[in-house]
Amino acid sequence: MKRDKEFNNILNECLERLLEGEAIEQCLRRYPEQANELKPLLQTALVARRVSVIQPRADFKARARYQFRSALREAATKKRPFFSWFPRWATVATIALVLLLAGSGTVAAAGSSMPDSPLYPVKLATEEVRLALTPSPIDKASFCAELADHRVAEIIYMANKGDTQQVELITRRLDERLATLVVLVLDQEKGEAPMLMAPAPEEAGFSKGGNARADDQAGLRMTLEYNAVNNTATLNAVLEKAPESVKPALLEAIAIAEAGYQKALEALD
Amino acid sequence: MQKEEGLVLRAQQHDQEAFAQLYEAYFDKIYRYVTFKLGNEMEAEDITQQVFLNTLQSISSFKWKGVPFSAWLFRIAHNQVVDYLRKKKRATVPLDESLPASDDNPQQLAEHKLDIERLLSATRRLTEAQREVISLRFTSELPIAEVARVMGKSQGAVKALQHSAIVALRQALAVTEDETR
Repeated sequence: MKRDKEFNNILNECLERLLEGEAIEQCLRRYPEQANELKPLLQTALVARRVSVIQPRADFKARARYQFRSALREAATKKRPFFSWFPRWATVATIALVLLLAGSGTVAAAGSSMPDSPLYPVKLATEEVRLALTPSPIDKASFCAELADHRVAEIIYMANKGDTQQVELITRRLDERLATLVVLVLDQEKGEAPMLMAPAPEEAGFSKGGNARADDQAGLRMTLEYNAVNNTATLNAVLEKAPESVKPALLEAIAIAEAGYQKALEALD
Repeated sequence: MQKEEGLVLRAQQHDQEAFAQLYEAYFDKIYRYVTFKLGNEMEAEDITQQVFLNTLQSISSFKWKGVPFSAWLFRIAHNQVVDYLRKKKRATVPLDESLPASDDNPQQLAEHKLDIERLLSATRRLTEAQREVISLRFTSELPIAEVARVMGKSQGAVKALQHSAIVALRQALAVTEDETR
């Protein structure tokens, strides 16, 4: 019994060393009395160790990573209902106040900032305020198209930098922006003030006549048609040269851009 | 280990980057462990993903009380595999021909696949506990102390089991070789 325990300890020590890359012979030299018994066991252990060459397929690994990161973000969002209870007008007012305090120079500089810049949150906040203060749904929709264009440029910038997490994050913002655009187009066709935006433009004297609205719609359609083709083509071109680690997120961005633009154009039909 | 403890604590406080680092550190090991247990690539992919999603949901319940994070994670993987096999009502599954290998050399790749298929076939002749110890020790390369934690046994018991598992595997490999001649 004691001998068994001692042998098991020796075997385990040799296995540890074998896993660290030591040769069988070195271990046998260290324990010459047990060498005959050890040798076949260590050879078998080496055969078993060959299983460690099993690797997950690269595309599965990338897909799994993307899905896990998405689940991770979703879980984090659920844990932090930041400002979710705040009325929208109060959020907008707070952001406007912060921007006012930040100064017009900061706001102007933030306009062209990218997601890795400290000014980027100012850029997003400015966009929110501008969107809320834009009077008519069709103008809001046009502004959303412009913002979607900015998001695509940011995705390309971060993809070239190999930052998968940022690409995923901005893709979600792109998706939200294009979805808002669809809601705005549908709402203005119904002649309703959109629920998620600034109040009562018609009473405030901002409503547009039938011809002007048709012109705006035609202009928006042209913009969207151009952006849909141009942005997806650019994203596909970036995909070819992007680092492997970013490709799954970039593919998702392309799919979301294509679907989002398609829905927006259908809403305008 | 201290670094890992820090990562786990941060992950429990919803730090995405910390969780992502733990994921990267263990993904391949868990995948190999599951593949070894199931012998099928596609099934192993599904189970591996599920293991990490379960980990995400239950990480707040993990407590550092001398139990390494790896032991807890492999326990989740073990339970996931057991549940899966129970639902499928079978103890083993057919081998997949496309078992992956890291080597790009076609000849070596083919040899590796044969080795792995022969090995997986031989392990079916082992007891569940023997298969578990071989998998944790040689596919996932866990130290004996962590294997003991995963299996809920003393280190001495695991060393004895490891010995008997290697002896049994040697005999099973000889039988498998005879059968293929």
